[in-house]
Amino acid sequence: MSFVCPGCSCLCDDIEIVDGRILHACRRGEEIFEKYKENRAKPMVKGKEVDIDSAIEEATEVLKDSKNTVIYGMDTTTVEAQQLGIELAEKLNAYIDDNSSFCLGEFVEAILRKELPTTTLEDVRDRAYVMVYWGANPFHSLSRHMSRYSYYPRGAKRPRGYEEDRFLVVVDVRRSETAKLAKKNAKFIQVDNDDELVDSFFKVMEGKAAKYAKEAGIILNEMKKSDLNVIFGGLGLKYGLKDLGKFVEMVRKMNEVAPLYFIPAGFHANMRGFNETLFEKTGYVNKYSFKDGKGDVDFAFTSLLQNGKVDTAVIIGTDPVSSLPYDVASKLKEVKTIVIDPRMSPTARVADIIIPSAVSGIEMGGTMVRSDGARIKLEVIEERDVNDIYILKKIEEGL
Amino acid sequence: MRFSKFLKVEAEIVVARYALVSDETKSRFEPVIFFHPEFAKRSGVKEGDVVEVEANGRAVKLKVKLSESAPESGGIIPNGIFASYLTNFDGFKRFKANIEVAEGEPSSVGEIIERVKP
Amino acid sequence: MALNPMDIYKLLPKTNCKKCGEATCMSFAFKLLNRERKLEECTPLYEDKKYERQRKKLEEMLKPLEEATETGLIVDEGLCTGCGNCVVVCPVHVEKDPKGAAVGKGITIDDPILRVEDGAVKVINMQACRRYGKNRVLCVVCRENCPTDAIRFLEG
Ligand code: SF4
Ligand code: SF4
Ligand code: SF4
Ligand code: SF4
Repeated sequence: MSFVCPGCSCLCDDIEIVDGRILHACRRGEEIFEKYKENRAKPMVKGKEVDIDSAIEEATEVLKDSKNTVIYGMDTTTVEAQQLGIELAEKLNAYIDDNSSFCLGEFVEAILRKELPTTTLEDVRDRAYVMVYWGANPFHSLSRHMSRYSYYPRGAKRPRGYEEDRFLVVVDVRRSETAKLAKKNAKFIQVDNDDELVDSFFKVMEGKAAKYAKEAGIILNEMKKSDLNVIFGGLGLKYGLKDLGKFVEMVRKMNEVAPLYFIPAGFHANMRGFNETLFEKTGYVNKYSFKDGKGDVDFAFTSLLQNGKVDTAVIIGTDPVSSLPYDVASKLKEVKTIVIDPRMSPTARVADIIIPSAVSGIEMGGTMVRSDGARIKLEVIEERDVNDIYILKKIEEGL
Repeated sequence: MRFSKFLKVEAEIVVARYALVSDETKSRFEPVIFFHPEFAKRSGVKEGDVVEVEANGRAVKLKVKLSESAPESGGIIPNGIFASYLTNFDGFKRFKANIEVAEGEPSSVGEIIERVKP
Repeated sequence: MALNPMDIYKLLPKTNCKKCGEATCMSFAFKLLNRERKLEECTPLYEDKKYERQRKKLEEMLKPLEEATETGLIVDEGLCTGCGNCVVVCPVHVEKDPKGAAVGKGITIDDPILRVEDGAVKVINMQACRRYGKNRVLCVVCRENCPTDAIRFLEG
C-alpha cells in the first residue's frame, strides 16, 4: 500500500512503509512520517493544561465576544477542513487569509482567472521540453519535484529523459543547487532584477536589443521545438517582480511564439487547495473579508495585525511566529490567539488557547490540491478523532 | 585573539528553504547561517564560528556553515524563526545585515519567542 | 560498504590541530576516504592514549578501503535531501524499472543499486552498478546529478 506525503505541494503518492523503514520520501517527508508523535500540542488555556473540550469551549466563548476575528492558515490541512474554516469565517463575519497572500497566491489567482495558461505535472513529465525554474530552488523547497515530475523522469513523448529530451533553464539571484544541475542542454541565468529578464523576453520578441537578449533568444528558439514548455515560478519570482501583470503579459506574448504554461512552485502542501476553495466560494483566493464582501491587501493577515484591525486570531496549522517578519509576528501579543495545530509550534507556545489537532495525511484523511491543481486523496496511518474537522464543527455548533 | 571579531561586515542575506535544516516537528530549529566560502574568507569567518547577525535593529547569534550556493556577497539563512525575527515585511526574503564574530552559544528558539511575545 | 566521512570524523580527535596537514579533521576524513591520506598522518591519534579506542575502531572501519573497493561509491547522508535524482537517472534503474524509477516514481524493484530510505539515499545492491565487476565502465551519472556532492566516488 502506498501513502501520500503531506510534506509539500508535490504530494508524492508513492511512499511505502516496509519493516518500519520509510521508502521514497525525501528528507522532509520522511520526518513527517517518522516523527509525527513528537512535540505534540496539549490543550491549554492561558498556560494551564485543560481537557480538549474545555479548550474548544473556551475558544468558542472568546469568538462569541470578539468583534473582529481573523482566521488564518489551513495550508497544511485538508480541503474538507478548509471548507469548514471558511464557513466559520462567514458565520463570524470575519477575515480569512492564508500564507499564500505573501507567497504564491497571486499566481494561483491568475491561473484560476485563466490569465495564466497552466498544465498538469503528468503532462509536464510526458511532454514538456523547456522547463524554466524561475526564482525556485526545488532541491530544497520541493525536493522530489525534478526527479518525480519534471526534468529527470522519462515521459511518454520524452523517452530519452533529461539527457536529450529536456531543456532546463534556471533563473535565480544566486547559483543555487538547482542552478548547478543546469549543465548540458541547459541555461542558468543569474539575474539581479527579475524584471530585466521579463523585459528582455519582450524586447527579443520585438527584435530589439536587451540585457539578456542572447539568453532569451536561445530559450525562445528552444521552446519552438515543443508543444509544451513550462515555467515553474517560486518565491524568488514573486518577490523579484514589481509588476505581475507584465509577467502575465509576457507569458501570453510568448505563447504566440510557442506553447508555454505556468505552474506555481511553492511548498505548503495544500495552499492551492485553500486558494481554490475560497475562490469557489467568494471569487477571491485569499485576504478576504466576509464583513466587506471582498478581498483586499488590507485584509491580509499581515496588514490586519500591523494596522491593529483585529482583536482575535484563529491560527490553524501554521506557525507565524516562525514564518512572519518580526514587525508582524510581534503584533500577535496585542490580540487573543487561538491556535489549532497538531504541534507545540513556537506560535502555539505563545497562544492564549491551544487546541491540539491531527496531522493531515497521517492521522486524518481527506483531499489536498497539488501545485498544479490535481486533487489527491490522502491515506490514514493512525486515525485520530480530534482533528481539524471535529474541532471546527464543534466551535461552529457552539456559537 | 582574532582581529576579525572587531570588524563588522555588511552581508547580503537571502532567506530560503533549506531542506537539510528542516524541522517538521517544530521544536528545534537549527540556528545556522550558510556563508559563501569566498565571503567567509574575505570576512575572516570560519565554519563553526558563531556570528552575530544584525538587521533592522535586531540581532541573533548563528552558527556558521559554508555553502557554495549562498550569494557571493553574503549568506543564506534558512526559512524559519531566526530569519523571520531579523526581517521586516519589506525585504522579507532578501535583506542586508551586519555580521560580526561573536562569543558564546547560538541563539535558541525559546529566546526568540520570548522577544517576539514577552 | 556505506562508509561515510561523518562516521570517520566522529572518531577523529576533532581538535582541528592541523598536524596532519589538513585544515580540519573533517577534510582529513574526506581525504582518508579518497585514500589521499593515511590514518597514520593524524599523529595525535597514535600519541595520545585517550584516543586509543577510537583509533582501533578507525583502523577497522578503514580496512575495506585498503583492498580497493568494488565501485568506490560513497554517500554522505548529511548532504542528502532524498531528492531522488540519483535513483531516477541511474541507467541501470531506467532499464530494470521502466514503470518505477524510469518515470520518476519511487523505485519498485527489490534489489536496486540505490534507494531513498528514511529520508536519504542508501546503497542497496552495489553489484548491479556499472562500475562493478569485470566489464565495469566509469559511470558517473548519479554523482553528476547530485547538486550537493552527497555522492562521491573513491576514484574517477
Ligand atoms: S517532495 Fe514533498 S511531497 Fe514529496 S516526499 Fe518530499 S516533502 Fe513529501
Ligand atoms: S592531525 Fe588529527 S587531530 Fe589534527 S587535524 Fe589532522 S585529523 Fe585532526
Ligand atoms: S544523493 Fe544527492 S541526488 Fe541522491 S537523493 Fe541524495 S541529494 Fe539527491
Ligand atoms: S555509477 Fe552509474 S550505474 Fe552506478 S549507481 Fe551511479 S548511475 Fe547507477
